Order: sequence, then structure tokens, then C-alpha cells
Amino acid sequence: MHIPDGILPTAVCLGGYATAGAATWYSLRKINQSENPREGIPRASLLTAAFLVASWVHIPVPPASVHLLLNGLLGAVLGFYAFPAILIGLFFQAVMFQHGGLTTLGINATIIGVSAILAHLVFQIRKLFGPDNRTATGIFGFLAGASGIALAAVAVFALLVTTIPANIDVEAERTAIGILTIAHIPLMLLEGVFTALVVLFLIRVKPELLEGK
Amino acid sequence: MQLQLDRYAYLETPLHRWDPRCKLVGMMVLIFAFSYVRDLRLLPVILVVSGAMYVYSGLPLSFLLSRLRLPALFLLAVAVILPFASGQTVLFQIGPLAVKEEGCLDLLRIAVKFFSILTLGIILFGTMPFLTAVKAMRGLGLPYILADMTLFAYRYLFEIGDDLKAMQTAMRLRGFRNKKLSGFSTLASLAGTILVRSFEQSDRVFKAMILRGYGQPASFKDEFQARTIDVVALLLLLSAAAVVVTTELLLY
Repeated sequence: MHIPDGILPTAVCLGGYATAGAATWYSLRKINQSENPREGIPRASLLTAAFLVASWVHIPVPPASVHLLLNGLLGAVLGFYAFPAILIGLFFQAVMFQHGGLTTLGINATIIGVSAILAHLVFQIRKLFGPDNRTATGIFGFLAGASGIALAAVAVFALLVTTIPANIDVEAERTAIGILTIAHIPLMLLEGVFTALVVLFLIRVKPELLEGK
Repeated sequence: MQLQLDRYAYLETPLHRWDPRCKLVGMMVLIFAFSYVRDLRLLPVILVVSGAMYVYSGLPLSFLLSRLRLPALFLLAVAVILPFASGQTVLFQIGPLAVKEEGCLDLLRIAVKFFSILTLGIILFGTMPFLTAVKAMRGLGLPYILADMTLFAYRYLFEIGDDLKAMQTAMRLRGFRNKKLSGFSTLASLAGTILVRSFEQSDRVFKAMILRGYGQPASFKDEFQARTIDVVALLLLLSAAAVVVTTELLLY
């Protein structure tokens, strides 16, 4: 899901930094509007680290196993802190594990971060059904998790297929996007169910984690 | 769980001694200049420059190779797809599949740029402690929320990672086997527990930090002092980047 270095044209990478900069500015502006912006920093930081660690958990999909992206869950829990959290998480992955890249940090953050913010908005709809409605929490948790990865997957594949090799014809491009998106449907379902289970766990054990974001 | 990134950050080479802010700016500009390269004739140049800088950095080859393991899988995937999917000029056939010239050249372009940029990134963050890199970014204008979050997340990342390992061991000792999808809800509870524990810990961390004066204006001090040689080295790297971009514009 993370686009590495050397793939995208420089203009796209710089554009990615511009959009990530704008999204970060907007998120920080929202955070700064809170009564004590520094108060939320340790919480968001520890949760950033916790999300990164949680994404290392292997989910068995026989005969192999997968890692989840968890951007939908991150959006649901962290709200506007999700964008800086994702930016930092991707920076760690690029620098420490060579996963993703330094030139593509902006575009990766934009794709995954914006889909996390959208997932956050999807998850907020549950409040219309009452604060303690477990069914609505589960359903919108599923939708947040599935939409987070779905949006990111479509954006990554569209970007990759339209920008990498100039020699691939239009028909092949469409087929590739179609195949790759369909291949991600099981992963979307998996991510959606996982997010729903985690938010149901959180609402039972620590409901404050899902409040007021 | 230990971070290997800082392993060679304390060597005594000119690249290690270079002012971190100048190093960040210079290397990032060079990285973007390399990503701009499309002409095949420039590929050996960026490969030699990144290789020479790696040798100059004094970092061992094994360090580079160990960090290339994960990204090499991506390159392998590209190598399997591109030569067959991109272009019209058939070079040769492998059974029903045609290997195309344009696809092979695209692959070469991507592989060399990928390797060169990755090498520069490893030099950049392998020749200074990670904390120094974040402080240098803060010195270059990174907002305090991002700098603080990066430092805190870095501080707790491996601690939480160790917590995860301990919990997974405890689960295995209680008979949990992570081999079937039926254990899915247990894994979701595991992820949820990590979040809850981190959330609770963050409250304690924040209170302890407030007691130690966190949030006061002097919590970040610009501790870097660029020497003339640092600025000269920065200008040298910026010039090299400008030469690469100009040559690319003239050739391509």
C-alpha cells in the first residue's frame, strides 16, 4: 500500500508533499483550536506508536498471513490527530524499515491520511443513533475500516497505473486497476470486521478512547 | 526489540560530523534531484554518486544490505510485471509471454533510482542519531506538535512493541494458536488492549511531563551551530543536484 521511491514522477511527489502539507496544516489548526493543544500530544503520540505496533500483528489468512493498514481505525480513534499520526508512522516506516519512501512520504501520507479522515467522518455518523448504540458502533466501525482501505487502495492503484510506465495502453491500465481493486475486496472486508471488533472492544473496555474526537 | 538505525550513528567521519540541518537539506534536495532523472545515460552517474557517498560515510556494506531486504521484495514484484506489461517492442519470448524492450528499460530506470535514493536515505539517517534528526527538523521549522509527537512516538514505539511480544507469548502459553481465522476476535482484542494500555500510559506520561515543565517556551533549544565547512558542503550538494537536474533537462 505504500508507494516506494523511484516510481512516481518528481512532480507527483512534490504535489504529494504540497497536499500533505495542506492537510497537516488543517489538522494542526483544528488541534490548536482545542483548549490545551499540548495535552493531546502524549496521547496521540502513544496511540501513533500503538497503531504502528498493532499493524505488525499477523492476521492468518490460510495459507498465508497479512498485516492490516488500520488507517480507518486510526481515523475513528484519533480524529484530526490521525493525519499527523499517519505522517509520523509513515516517516518511521520509511526511515527505520525502508517501507515506503522519503520522496513519496507526502503522497503516501495524503492517500492514507485523507482516507483516515474520511473514515473518521464515516464513524461519526454513529452518534446519530445514540452514544451507546453498540449495533451502530459496530456497523460504522466496519464501514470506517473498510472505506479507509478501499479509498487508499483505489487511490494508490490509480496513481501507480496512470503514472509509472508510459508505455502501458489505456485498456491494460483499466484492467490492472480493476483486478487490483477486486483483489483488495477480501482485505477491505477483513479490515472492516477487524475495525468493528476493535471499536466494540474499546466501547466495552475504554469508551473514552472513542469520545470527543 | 531494538532499533538498528542508530547503530553506526556515532562514527567519526565528515558525513557524521556534518551539521544535521545542512545534511537534511542537502541530502533531501539531492534525493529529489535523483528522483527527477529519466534519461538512461544519467543512471550510472546517480548510481556512482550514491555508492561513493555511501563509501565516504563509513557505514558498513552489511548495514546497507540488511536494510535492502524488505524493499527488494517490492523490486522483485516490479521485475515480474513490467518487462511483460509495458511496451510493444518484443525482445524475446518466454513461452507465451513476450519480454518487451520498453518494459525492461522502465524496470532499469525504476531499479536504479530506487536503489540510489534508498542509499542516500540510509546515509542521511544512518549517520546521525534519530533524535538529532528530529531536533534538526524542528530547527528547520517543523511545527512543535509534529516534532513532539515524533519524539514521543519514537520513545514508546519499541516499548509498546515489547508489550505486544509479551502479550503474544502469554496468549501462546494459554494455548492460542494464530493459524486460523477463528482467532480473529482474539487478535482484535489484542490490538484493542495495546490501544487501551497506551491510552492509560499516556495520561501518566503527560502528568509526569507537566511536573517536569513540559510546554514551557524553552523546552526546545536550537542546539546546532553550522560551521563554514558545513555550509560549503551544503552548497556543494545543492550544486550537484542542480547539475543533475539541468543535465536531465538538456538530455531528455
